[in-house]
Amino acid sequence: MQDEIARLRQEAEHDVVVAETAGALEEVRRIYLGRRGRLAVLFDRLPQLPESERRAAGQALNEVRAQIEERFRRRAAVVAGRDRSAQLEQERLDVTLPGWHRHLGRRHILSRTVEEVQEIFIRMGFDLVDGTEVETDECNFEHLNIPRDHPARDTMDTFYISDELLLRTHTTVVDARVMRGRRPPMRVLTAGRCYRRDVVDATHMPVFHQVDGFMVGEGITFADLKGVLIAFAREMFGPEARVRFQPSYFPFTEPSAEVAVWFNGIWLELGGCGMFHPRVLEMAGIDPERYTAFAFGGFGDRVVMARYGIPDIRLFWENDLRLLRQF
Amino acid sequence: MRVPLSWLREFVPVPEDPAALIDRLAMLGFGHEPVEWVGEEAVLDLEVASNRPDLLSVLGVAREVAAAWEREVTPPAFMLRRSTSRAGAAADVAVEDPEGCPRYTAHVITGVRVGTSPDWMVGRLEASGIRSINNVVDVTNYVMLEQGQPLHAFDLDRLAGARIIVRRARPGERVVTLDGVDRALDPEMLAIADAERAVAVAGVMGGADTEIGASTSRVLLEAAAFHGPQARRTARRLGLRTESSARFERSLDPRGVLDAAHRAAALIAEVAGGQTLAGAIDVYPHPAPPTVITLRLPRIARVLGLEVPEDAVAAILHRLGCRVTRRGRRLTVTVPAGRVDLEREEDLIEEVARHYGYDRIPEAMPVEALQAGRAAAVLEAEAFGRDVLIRGGLDEAVTLSLISPDILDRLGVAADDAARRLVQLQNPLLADHTHLRSMILPGLLDAVRVNLSHRVEDVHLFEIGRVFHAATGGVAHEVEERRALGIAMHGRLARGWNLPAEASDVTFFHLKGLLEELTAELRVGISVEAAAVPWLHPGRSARLLADGAEIGMFGELHPAAAERFDLTGRVHVAEINLEALLRRATLARRFEPLPRYPSVDRDLAVFVPAEMPQAEVRRVIRQAGGPLLETVDLFDVYTGPQAPAGQRSLAYALQFRAPDRTLTAEEADAALSRIHDALRSTLGATPRA
Repeated sequence: MQDEIARLRQEAEHDVVVAETAGALEEVRRIYLGRRGRLAVLFDRLPQLPESERRAAGQALNEVRAQIEERFRRRAAVVAGRDRSAQLEQERLDVTLPGWHRHLGRRHILSRTVEEVQEIFIRMGFDLVDGTEVETDECNFEHLNIPRDHPARDTMDTFYISDELLLRTHTTVVDARVMRGRRPPMRVLTAGRCYRRDVVDATHMPVFHQVDGFMVGEGITFADLKGVLIAFAREMFGPEARVRFQPSYFPFTEPSAEVAVWFNGIWLELGGCGMFHPRVLEMAGIDPERYTAFAFGGFGDRVVMARYGIPDIRLFWENDLRLLRQF
Repeated sequence: MRVPLSWLREFVPVPEDPAALIDRLAMLGFGHEPVEWVGEEAVLDLEVASNRPDLLSVLGVAREVAAAWEREVTPPAFMLRRSTSRAGAAADVAVEDPEGCPRYTAHVITGVRVGTSPDWMVGRLEASGIRSINNVVDVTNYVMLEQGQPLHAFDLDRLAGARIIVRRARPGERVVTLDGVDRALDPEMLAIADAERAVAVAGVMGGADTEIGASTSRVLLEAAAFHGPQARRTARRLGLRTESSARFERSLDPRGVLDAAHRAAALIAEVAGGQTLAGAIDVYPHPAPPTVITLRLPRIARVLGLEVPEDAVAAILHRLGCRVTRRGRRLTVTVPAGRVDLEREEDLIEEVARHYGYDRIPEAMPVEALQAGRAAAVLEAEAFGRDVLIRGGLDEAVTLSLISPDILDRLGVAADDAARRLVQLQNPLLADHTHLRSMILPGLLDAVRVNLSHRVEDVHLFEIGRVFHAATGGVAHEVEERRALGIAMHGRLARGWNLPAEASDVTFFHLKGLLEELTAELRVGISVEAAAVPWLHPGRSARLLADGAEIGMFGELHPAAAERFDLTGRVHVAEINLEALLRRATLARRFEPLPRYPSVDRDLAVFVPAEMPQAEVRRVIRQAGGPLLETVDLFDVYTGPQAPAGQRSLAYALQFRAPDRTLTAEEADAALSRIHDALRSTLGATPRA
């Protein structure tokens, strides 16, 4: 028996080593380690051995089995590894082929910039409110201290729907509405479309976007207005932004100013601002002796043009994706 | 306002270099055009705000410059010699509308010789943009430019009855104005008339009949104040805008009238000869007292956020021509004639701020601006929705809200559709922009076309914007404004080499899937039904409903409509009432516990008649499946050879789950069996092996 065992072990080792594939290896396993394999046959003959040899033979068989199993395991790992490598190699790709694209959407550069402006002011405590594009003449003008036949109306040529209804010429109209509906203190922002009967050219469209904000409180001053707008400019144009306030005239603010930021070698006009005229506050039911308010407006399409170097305002409305996808 | 520099220099010393002057004026709030050179003359062109009529004059600008540079103004020197005859004997003035004309003065000058004006006057007029007519008329224009007060010279001998009557025009009355145009007047307008007829449009333009001509020898010189808004209305109605009306419409101060008249009379005598009769006729029934304003010094700091030293405040106001007296912390300020813009305390505060310097006001941060604000709910919901669409692969477009009604014809909207109730503009500027849009889609389709024409491929656009309808119901001109969502998709959703078109072209179901995602994110339950929409492919058009209310339409664009928009290929479109959708939306989120027990999965496939809507089958499955049926997922629609004629197979993956225990296979099988029974008895469905 011992000779047979030794021979078995040698042949098993040899067969394991030369098995190249998982299939061949499995066959080898079956032959030697299977239920009716050669090892099993020898184990079956154990009871027929004389007692004195039985134990030694049994031990030897167990050893051999363990050895064969070990060899087998190791070889199986090697073969599997090699099979997998071959498989992986077959799956090789030319990684320099172009990628496949699923279409990603994006916001329109105008509304994204307006949103950016809104975000900055929201962080500074302004509540964002909604407004309507169709408005009354009363709210759009009279509540902002611009009575009928006031020459200031010349600066805003208006589209009328009826004698009373018009398309709003500025978002400041929303300020007047909100002031009626809330008690001070308040800080409010709004944005949206405005309309003016302007001849269409590179910087004028009859439809355009504006952002408007205001703050009413017991101690609000022009200094606060400067502080808020300078903080805005620094957020939007960088911490080194230089801001300029030049006196100006609006019927609804006194003092009034035009605010500009130094950008790309020019003073970029952002919009207008000032302290709400006491008459505007009075008309909104707010006591101008107790409360003061500042307001600012503009920050719309032309600012977007200057910021991104877009030469013609009409390009925004064409929605040519070759332009929009640049942003 | 064009101001020749040399003229300005006559009244106030100015820097040699116009640039320095302009920079300083800009810091005071005067916009300007670049300096022009007329010959060797530098001419400034200043923007004058509508509240500063005093700046429509060289003297007014001079005063502003003097205040800024702390200089004195030297007013024009002149001597007015008068004869002994009285003006009141030679002419007569009656003002029938004192509200329209608060003050009317008339000087009479006899013995003038009408001829050409001296070069220096012509030069200044032309540099200011006014051409020379004759010496008398030129003086009126010259003094208007110098002082800001419009003047008019009448040939006294051509005034019937030597009378001036300031009255409302009569109905049907006409006058030929100086420009030779025969104009119709109406009772809304103020006219200057003689004893017989209207001879001028007050505040706007004189009449041709009474104008100064070569034979004129007696002049009636008018200097008046007219009601600003009325003058503006009149000028607009006549389609005119003159140097006079531009000044009057800003409500000139009646107190400055006589000074200008004296100056003009003296100048006429100088360049045209003649004698001014003694005493002017001055109809001024309600002399306006000077404006006196109390300025509380503490209020300056309250408004500006800066303590301006009291002396500086007084000095600035004084330099601007105000008389200032002080009592404690209050200043009593008498406003000079001409500064009609200074009416209350705030106006003075602005003057102080302007001249003290806006840049000296510090920056402060209001205490309230330290915690974040919130957006209105509808805006948050809108942003949420926009986000979903972008993640879904759509690009945002922005299209005009002004349209022409034929755009609805191009789309093929039915004549009785609500979208036809357009809001019309009273005063459109362009023929293409006469109405407000009632739908987003047409503008979006034009945007698609623009892109296709530039060979941009895969154009998937959406727009969220306002649409407008003329309201139903009795009130005319009421407008309904609401938010809408438009979608237009053309081309592929994914692109790559070897990627087959069937895998990547947009289909009806891609669009539907997007709308399902959108409404799911907004937590709005929806259902979809086939619909007949004239602008959609009749076999591929659907209605979107929430709570049984229609909130939109979507599908494949009707090829005829596509043609009318110059679009080739299939276009998938949607028009959604976003307002109705957002109103039902829920953005608030709460954690829902994850399932604790495993599900049991079963597949089900049945043959049903091909025209039966899938929603029917799903409904029966749901109903029969009961609460244990968690998900119903359609994964196969089969119409191949194994399907009986006129039928198709729908295959669903069903998941059963109990919240409180592990479901057994038997329970699931029992439920499945119930479902099969229901499908068979209700719909006549047969199981597919």
